[in-house]
Amino acid sequence: MASAANSLRICLRTCRQLPTVRPVVRPAFAARPFARRRALSSTPARQADENDGAEAPEEVKRYYNPAEVIKDLLREEGLTEQQRETLTQTLTQWGQMPEEDKKRFEDMRREVHASTSQIRYVVKPKKDSFWNEEEKDTDLITDEIGEDDFEEDDMLSIGHAKLDEHRDAREYARIAVWEMPLLSRFAKDFVPPTAEEPLRFRYTTYMGEFHPADRKVVVEFSPKDVPELSEAQQLKLMKLAGPRYNPEKGLIKMSSDRFEHQAQNKRYLGDLVQKMITAAKDPTDMFEDVPLDTRHHDFKVRPQFPKEWRITEERQKELQEIRRKALVLDEAKRKSGALIDGKEVIKNYLESMPAHREPEPSMVRRGGPAKGRLGKGKW
Amino acid sequence: MSVPNCMRCLTRPSAVATAALRPFTVPVSVSLTAAGRVAAFSTTPAQQATPQKGSKTPAGRMDARIKRMANGHVRVGKRLHVGGKKGGTRPKAPLPGERKAYRKRIQLSNSNALPVKDLAELDGEHMLSEKNVAKVLSLPTAVIDQLRTVEAFKPTQTWGLFRDPSLLIRPETVDLMNRMQDSVANKQTLRLVIDGDKLTGKSILLLQALTQAFLKDWIVINIPEAQELTAACTEYAPIPGTEPVQYMQQVYILKLIQAIRKANEKVLSRLTTAYAHPELPQHIPVSSPILALANAAKEPDSAWTVFSALWKELSSNIRGRPPILFALDGLHHIMKISKYRNAAFDLIHSHDLALIKLFTDYLSGQASLPNGGAIIAATSRNNCPVSASLELALEQRLATQNGEEPPAKKPYFKGYDSRVEGAMKSAQVLRIKGVSKLETRSLMEYWAASGLLRTTVDEVAVSEKWMLGGNGVLGEMERASLLTMRL
Repeated sequence: MASAANSLRICLRTCRQLPTVRPVVRPAFAARPFARRRALSSTPARQADENDGAEAPEEVKRYYNPAEVIKDLLREEGLTEQQRETLTQTLTQWGQMPEEDKKRFEDMRREVHASTSQIRYVVKPKKDSFWNEEEKDTDLITDEIGEDDFEEDDMLSIGHAKLDEHRDAREYARIAVWEMPLLSRFAKDFVPPTAEEPLRFRYTTYMGEFHPADRKVVVEFSPKDVPELSEAQQLKLMKLAGPRYNPEKGLIKMSSDRFEHQAQNKRYLGDLVQKMITAAKDPTDMFEDVPLDTRHHDFKVRPQFPKEWRITEERQKELQEIRRKALVLDEAKRKSGALIDGKEVIKNYLESMPAHREPEPSMVRRGGPAKGRLGKGKW
Repeated sequence: MSVPNCMRCLTRPSAVATAALRPFTVPVSVSLTAAGRVAAFSTTPAQQATPQKGSKTPAGRMDARIKRMANGHVRVGKRLHVGGKKGGTRPKAPLPGERKAYRKRIQLSNSNALPVKDLAELDGEHMLSEKNVAKVLSLPTAVIDQLRTVEAFKPTQTWGLFRDPSLLIRPETVDLMNRMQDSVANKQTLRLVIDGDKLTGKSILLLQALTQAFLKDWIVINIPEAQELTAACTEYAPIPGTEPVQYMQQVYILKLIQAIRKANEKVLSRLTTAYAHPELPQHIPVSSPILALANAAKEPDSAWTVFSALWKELSSNIRGRPPILFALDGLHHIMKISKYRNAAFDLIHSHDLALIKLFTDYLSGQASLPNGGAIIAATSRNNCPVSASLELALEQRLATQNGEEPPAKKPYFKGYDSRVEGAMKSAQVLRIKGVSKLETRSLMEYWAASGLLRTTVDEVAVSEKWMLGGNGVLGEMERASLLTMRL
């Protein structure tokens, strides 16, 4: 389906002539002050509309009906008489066709053109250029030529910038006051999903800007919520989902961005889920020999403050009771003399040791007892 | 190997030591001259006043450097060193193995600690009665010797702080002893693993089991460190004629036989052999004493044969054979691939080592002891190799015991070992935790009575230590109160 549309688009692309690369700077800008771009903008410059006037003379001419083609062909030289006659005949035939048929043809042609035209320009590197030197930098705020020359006829650029800021703010204020209340017309009441809608899709929008991820669609569902699935089938569905199954939350999460449009991706995911459910219901092989693999998931244990540790009034009373009992026990032991004090024990033990007396120092005469001078120089 | 005084205690004056040493420190003649006065009390040893000139002592070397002038003046100062090393020679390094011997020494008594009065001695009935929970009882001397022989004491335990080794009776102790008692009464084999957090007293509980076995005249075989069997630090050899090949550890088994013989001499001396053992190197006729059989192990080469014969005799279904306690500490080490290698240089599974295989056969229930007995293993949580199967098995057994749903295996985990699962298939698990406050109080009173805790043991102090020790973890409480003493 989606791939068929894609291939058709690719075929149409090959039939189309390549657009010539436009010059980046358009001198027409200076002449049209109302169409001036903002000095600084985050959105890229876009191609101007088809009916933008003669600003693109080198644009390849597009034909929307056969008459234009034939007229152009007839203007060319070098056609044989026979060819000319055939062409004129065809032109007359076209002229004789009813107006609504002509219009329908033209509309169809325009539609094909609109759907096959390029979304954005491909910037091709220039082969004989050095760092694209000749390219003008359009992002530059000023051209820096004579910028600082003040000719007493204008505000400074800083003033202009300030004014721009005000304009922006006023623009958004206008939107907020006049346009946004109108959005409430589109508001819808929240309706919680029913049991018949177990799939939860997630889309991403970048507010109209092009982004490679804006096509991505994510689907989440719980195998337990899928209707009419037995326990064994649920388990098989989990096994089929492989690492896309989160055993902690009990969810299967899949995403797709392989197609260009969100709708295509969503369709693909929906089909895939349907296929998986069909496979899970298939009783030929229930994968009973394969245990559920949860190695891809890291189970996180978050320690919680235990409930039993909370100091409630009851617990306080309990603690007081324990302390009271402890005091009573200590007091009883103290009275009976069974309370052991480490310091007392050591003191008592040392006191119980047999008393030891220092020997009295014996008096010795200076210079030695008998021989007068003894041990000269020895002490 | 034990030193009566611990080295730390020697460096400070203590009640006993100072009383004993004081007479020797007092100099024989005391002069009253200012220079020669000896302090009444000094912590430095008395030195010889005049060292011999040129002697090998440091003082003698100093004396050689002193320059004596003609007028009697003595010059002592810096001397010019030209080349060579400055300073004195280095102290001699300890001999090989000396440091390890010091580190691994087991000191069971400390004469600096005060003797605790009124400490009853353990007998065979104490540990069987609930009444004795939260009591500290001392080990009988005979059992201390036996326990020392089977290496039940560990160097990390704090026996060296107390006067005598004593044990705290816990509810788990009473539970375990009653289970052992029942196993004998029912002629069944108690297969049990003691598990618990670090420092909760697993090895001490095992020691209590060994004590009870000795007190009850069981035959005790103890493997004190299972890692010695699997860390490839003892000799091994394939046992001929075994398929798949089993390995014996001759030297270890010889030492084990000697330990069994010495520790169980009293019991073994009553027993006689019932079988002829033609494979033994020595002829042991039937009904010769079993001690003679144990004595036949003279060489490491014949150790395994003798051990097999001894085990056959002891575990045989003959009336009058005493129950057997086969204990092992460090269960994780035998529940993994060992460090040994076979002839193809592949690692050998621990269960292919014959002694470990014998243990695991009984632990798994493949074999049983006909006269009753117990196979008890304790885990060690500080030195604990990873063994997913063992951890899971412990959790599963515990959940089954508590009547809960056992946890399942992780379906995609590859580290499980089927042999370990087989060995742990049906063993009981006894998980121990911290002690209660009542037991803490009793233990702290014992510490204070030993002179190791200089506080009043009241409920405040007990609660403090109990909490510091992680809700009564014994080792942590010891750390908090005994091993960080500020004296």
